[in-house]
Order: sequence, then C-alpha cells, then structure tokens
Amino acid sequence: MSSINIKGYRDGLKVYVNSCSYQQLREELAQRIMRARDFFTGCRMYIVDEQKNISLDCYREIENYLREEFGITLLYQKGDKEEKKEKIFSGIYEGRTKFFKNTIRSGQRITYNGNIVVIGDINSGAEIVANGNIIVLGTLRGMAHAGYNGNKRAFVAAYILQPSQLRIADIIARSPDERTEKSSIPEVARIKDDIIIIEPYLPNKYL
Amino acid sequence: MGISIVVTSGKGGVGKTTTTANIGTALAMLGKKVVVVDADTGLRNLDLHLGLENRIVYNLIDVAEGTCRLKQALIKDKRFDNLFLLPTAQTKDKTAITPSQMQNIVETLKGEFDYVIIDCPAGIEHGFENAVAGADRAIIVTTPEVSAVRDADRIIGKIEAKGLDDHQLIINRIKYEMTKKGEMLNIEDMTDILAIKLLGIVPDDEKIVVSTNRGEPAVTDDHSKAGQAYKNIARRILGEEVPFLDLEDENTGFFGVLKKLFKR
Repeated sequence: MSSINIKGYRDGLKVYVNSCSYQQLREELAQRIMRARDFFTGCRMYIVDEQKNISLDCYREIENYLREEFGITLLYQKGDKEEKKEKIFSGIYEGRTKFFKNTIRSGQRITYNGNIVVIGDINSGAEIVANGNIIVLGTLRGMAHAGYNGNKRAFVAAYILQPSQLRIADIIARSPDERTEKSSIPEVARIKDDIIIIEPYLPNKYL
Repeated sequence: MGISIVVTSGKGGVGKTTTTANIGTALAMLGKKVVVVDADTGLRNLDLHLGLENRIVYNLIDVAEGTCRLKQALIKDKRFDNLFLLPTAQTKDKTAITPSQMQNIVETLKGEFDYVIIDCPAGIEHGFENAVAGADRAIIVTTPEVSAVRDADRIIGKIEAKGLDDHQLIINRIKYEMTKKGEMLNIEDMTDILAIKLLGIVPDDEKIVVSTNRGEPAVTDDHSKAGQAYKNIARRILGEEVPFLDLEDENTGFFGVLKKLFKR
C-alpha cells in the first residue's frame, strides 16, 4: 500500500495520508504530482491525516513547498462534512487495528483511532485509549478506555482483567476497594443497560 | 481563607508522600477541611497512599489546561468526608504545568479548604518550583542520614530565597536504639545543622509499609507509633502544644520492661 491516496472531490483534491512519516509523505506527494504536473498545477488540495502523524509545522512546510513549486493551494481540513459523519468510530466489527507487542508501563499512554490489541501486559498507571475495542493478551492492570469517541458497543477483553478503572464510551467503572479474587479465565467488559458489566469469556458464547 | 503547606525534602524516599497523606488525614480527623495535592506529575503516588487510585478521572493538569473544572478533579476520601485529594497526571511530565497556574489553583483551593497540603516531588527542578509556588508554609522532611540532611539544607536555602520563611522540620524514621548508640545522627545534631524549628519526630515503623500498600494512612491505626507521631504533628500544626513522643517507650516487650524496672 502506498503511503498516500489521492481522490478528487467537487471542491478539490483530497490527499489521504496513511501511516507514514513527514519525509515519506513529502517524497510521495512530489512524485505523484510530477507524474501529472499539468493536472495538478493550480488546483486546490486538502490533506486528510486521520492518525495525526503530521505536525502543524510540517504541514506549513508542505503548504509552502506546494505553492512555490506547483501553485497548489493547500487548504486545512477543518469543518469537513465527511469527517463529521465519521465522528463515532464504527469499526468495532471490522476496522483499523493497531497492535502493540510489549508491556505498556506506568506513565505510558496509548491512543488510537481504531481498535487496539496489546500482546503483553498493561501495568498500573498506564492508559490505553481506543475509539474501538481493546484486547489485551496479558494482564490489564491500568486504565482502559474503549469507544473513546462514543461507541457504546465497544468492549474491553483481557486474559486477566484487573483494571484500576474501566471506561467505555462515557461510562466509567472502577475496581472494588476490597481485594477480590483473581479470575483464572479471560473476561470481557461491555456496556449493558448503561453500566459496565464484566463477563467471563466463554468460548461458545461468542461463536 | 485556608493555609497552604508544602511538604518537601530535596532527597527522594525520605517519606514526603507518607507525611502528606498522614498529616492530611490527621487534620481531617481533627475536623478540618483538608485537600492534599499531588505535585509529583508523572510519578504520582499520593493516590496509592490514600487508596484512591481507582477513582481518578480528572487531574491537576486537566484543571490547569482547562479540560475540567477544579471541583471535578477533587476526589473525596473514602474514610473522611472532609478530606479530598487532587491527583496529578501520570502520563505527563512536570513541565505540563507552570508555577503561576499552580499558584492560581492553590489560591482557589485555599478559599474552599482550611488546609491545602502539597506533596512536592524530589529534586530542585521544575516540579519543586511548581509545588512551592502557592505555598504559605513549608514542612521539610528529613531522615537521620547525612545525605538527607544535606539535601534538606539545600532545600531550606532554596525556599528561604523565595521568601518562604515559615518552615518547620520533621525528622522521619528515627531508630531510637541506633541514635542512642551514636550510629545514627541524633536529633540535636540535625536541628543544630539545619537551624529551623522542629515540628515532629516520627519513629521508624515497619507497619508504614503495610499501611501504604493497603492505602490506609498510619494515623487511622490506633496502635501505630508513627501514626501517633503524625497525629501529634497535626495538632502542633493547629497551634497546640504537644510534647514530643517519648521514644524510649520503644523498649516494651519483656526485657524492655525489666530494664526499665531496674533503671528506677
């Protein structure tokens, strides 16, 4: 997959940035424009960067570069109708997923516009925030927030579910104060009737 | 208008957070309205000492950034209705807040509470500057070790330079047996070097570890010696004259009692 996709719309061209660095973006963009210089010259262009990999400074640099080289006006993506429609992440059945293959330690915060799978533990004091589901193949001791931007059907599943706090969409649950017994089987947390419930993961149930 | 007190030490691991949690709880037990503020952004621990770690939603940094109102970030203690915790963020660092923001927050808290107790991080950098910014008084915690005393001396110099002259000393983790044998700095030596008023002496107590791990400050345990010392300190903060604990009482047990009998 290339690092950018360019699509034409009524009000200009949209450059969709997949996960890539600023350097990659700039090179790829220049290459594409060179291939059809006449077509691109003088057009209006938007950059759609959903993962927010491109900083504002880099954005300005690209803006200057495009204007001077090709006379392209770069517009900001603010107030875009399409973005608004996609406000609540809906890919909890099938959608963007990020994998982490290490222990997430205290003080680390992971956010992703999509689902998160951690192959490792999430220690106390760490925060995992996903717009979709969170799955932990290890022990979840920190704070997990699934469905961050409002999807109430998102869930949190872990091999050993011992979070200090769980959040799904706008609902918060905290662990009980008295020590409870460790569950020896994986558990799944989801929203039912506006409270977060935790169920043992029984393989047959989700078939 | 309440009073803000910063608990600081310079050196790490001398018991600043334990002291903050215990003094805060003790003052609340004496009927004062108290808020304890964790200024150790990125390495917060005060929530654990109070057993409130699973209740944190918003924190000091959110308040400073305007993400939430100050009231939303305050967590009510599970034992005392008049004790509150203002936690800080674990996933940010100390530069996420400025001394002037901190000062504003502490000023606002002083309007609501009788005592605002700020837990200062170790070190003399940005985190220390933040913690000290809004403080009216300072409590310096030290242990009977030369390194802790030297760091305390440095800190006293720092806060005096800021015009914070109302400062008092707590000597933590005194082992009576060792000071008697001269293996540990004794209290007179330390007050002599540091030349500030002594607020209290806290004996070394293994139970502190248990109470920290459980999230129950030692002052809530009637049998804890350290807890008793912290209760006395709280009463001294309120202006009462309380004699220092007689550390010789540590010699309980059968032989201790015998020894005492023969001494007479």
